[in-house]
Amino acid sequence: MNRYRTYIAAVLVLCVLVGIGLFSSRFVLYLTMRVMILSIFAMGYNILFGRTGLLSFGHAAFYAVGAYGTALCSMHLHTHPLLVILAGAAAAALFAVIIGFFCVRHTEIYFAMLTLAFGMLVFSLMWNWRTVTGGDDGLSGIVRGSISLGFFAIPIMKDSQYYFFVLFCFAVSVLLIHRIYQSPFGLILAGIRENHIRTEFAGLGVKRYRLAAFVVSGTFAGLAGSLGLLLESNVTPFAAHWSHSAEPVLVSLMGGLETFSGPIVGSVLFVVLRELIERFTHNWMLWFGLILLAIIMGFRGGVVGATSVLLKRFSERP
Amino acid sequence: MNPTLLEVRDLNKAFGTVVTARNLNFSLQSGVITSIIGPNGAGKSTLINILTGLIAPDSGEILFHGRDITREPIARRVRWGLCRSFQVANVFGHLSLFENIAIPVLAVTRKATSFLRSTVRDKDVRREVESVLNRIGLLKQSHVRAGALSHGDQRLLEVGIALAAKPSMLFLDEPTAGMNPVERTRILQNIRELSDGGEVTFAIVEHDMDVVFSLSERVIVLHRGQIIGDGTPEQVKASPQVREVYLGEEVAE
Repeated sequence: MNRYRTYIAAVLVLCVLVGIGLFSSRFVLYLTMRVMILSIFAMGYNILFGRTGLLSFGHAAFYAVGAYGTALCSMHLHTHPLLVILAGAAAAALFAVIIGFFCVRHTEIYFAMLTLAFGMLVFSLMWNWRTVTGGDDGLSGIVRGSISLGFFAIPIMKDSQYYFFVLFCFAVSVLLIHRIYQSPFGLILAGIRENHIRTEFAGLGVKRYRLAAFVVSGTFAGLAGSLGLLLESNVTPFAAHWSHSAEPVLVSLMGGLETFSGPIVGSVLFVVLRELIERFTHNWMLWFGLILLAIIMGFRGGVVGATSVLLKRFSERP
Repeated sequence: MNPTLLEVRDLNKAFGTVVTARNLNFSLQSGVITSIIGPNGAGKSTLINILTGLIAPDSGEILFHGRDITREPIARRVRWGLCRSFQVANVFGHLSLFENIAIPVLAVTRKATSFLRSTVRDKDVRREVESVLNRIGLLKQSHVRAGALSHGDQRLLEVGIALAAKPSMLFLDEPTAGMNPVERTRILQNIRELSDGGEVTFAIVEHDMDVVFSLSERVIVLHRGQIIGDGTPEQVKASPQVREVYLGEEVAE
């Protein structure tokens, strides 16, 4: 029954997204792509935060590494979209292995501060290494090549074409992360969040699993960065800034930490709210802060968590 | 004489000036239920913590199955068959009972790294988890969150998690504390069955003397980090030194 409902919801969302891709204006297309890219970023992030219980303040670093990796690959090697995205995600994964190796030795506030420090380290690397990263100008003018599959090629130059590519990546990511959550590995991560000493005494090397979660979530951040770069066609060091690292934290909190769809719902809220508020005022952070306060105080377990509790109570009533 | 399972040589541990283990030398034989008793602060829990890897000793050696494990990490000791339960219920509160037991089962069957297959659809894992839940009498609640259980049931689950790791040697830290009589009977019956079946060797820290004397074949008495009595329950009861520091009132009656 419950599983049935999940399938129906997934198919519905997919239909709406395809509908948007076919019939919407360019502006809505762009916003929806932003939502999907932020969703990938936040869902990957939530593997670490909501699942494993590790609060990272440096995930923008992996987003930025993904973006820069993609940009550099497309400038110097080849513009095949699958190749450049693979390069971006692989670069992010490599960085996550190195940074994670040091970070997972600590937990809680020490972990958070370490990730923050490493994040800013990546930021200043991109800011200062002018010959490679373009310094504070960043890298711009990245073109989207066609996806050539040997005998035929799919163009993704136009936003209406690129949209479906983003949608495809989004769908694959959702599916993958869903499988991870149902898998033994996902269960172990939840066990580490609940009680890491007990997990150790169940015969599992907790540090290794933390590192694996760190790398998986960093890789998704890199994928999001790659897609974001191809959407905007440019990237600046601010992609790695700590204020960008706060985005997936806020999105996960709004949507619901310990829920699967929380980060997706949170991303929709984040992008749409920002767009609406910015029409009226420059100080969007002020209003957004107030809304965030209301959500965190009023909805325990985020919007998704609170809603599902409410629905359950409703359906249990005779 | 049964073969030696665990051997401790010249073990020392001090926290500042408080000595919790002083030149401890003993070995535990396979299949013998051993109780470790002593007044509060005698170093019982510290001893378990050292043997299972939670605390490193200052000096000394620990041999398990003849292999030196003194510096091995916790997880490896568990996979080699040395496991423990905790004094306070130490379970995965937000996870269901099924998931609580599945974690150690996945660990010992080396399936924990698989990340695309579904856990609940793995028939071997499910069978194993259900047999452990059945053993501790909580099979009907397999979908309940562990945090929602009564205190006694959480203690049962606690022991269940330890058993699910398929240990050959299991340390139980006050297994019956906070249990009602029904749960207590169930846990003691389980210990006896598993011990008689030769699957698990138990070492138990316990305050309840009824449990100690009815269950154990050997009793080790600790006092200020030293062994002051070691033998069958009768021998320990009769030892004047033990009566002096610890058993005095309770045995005299």
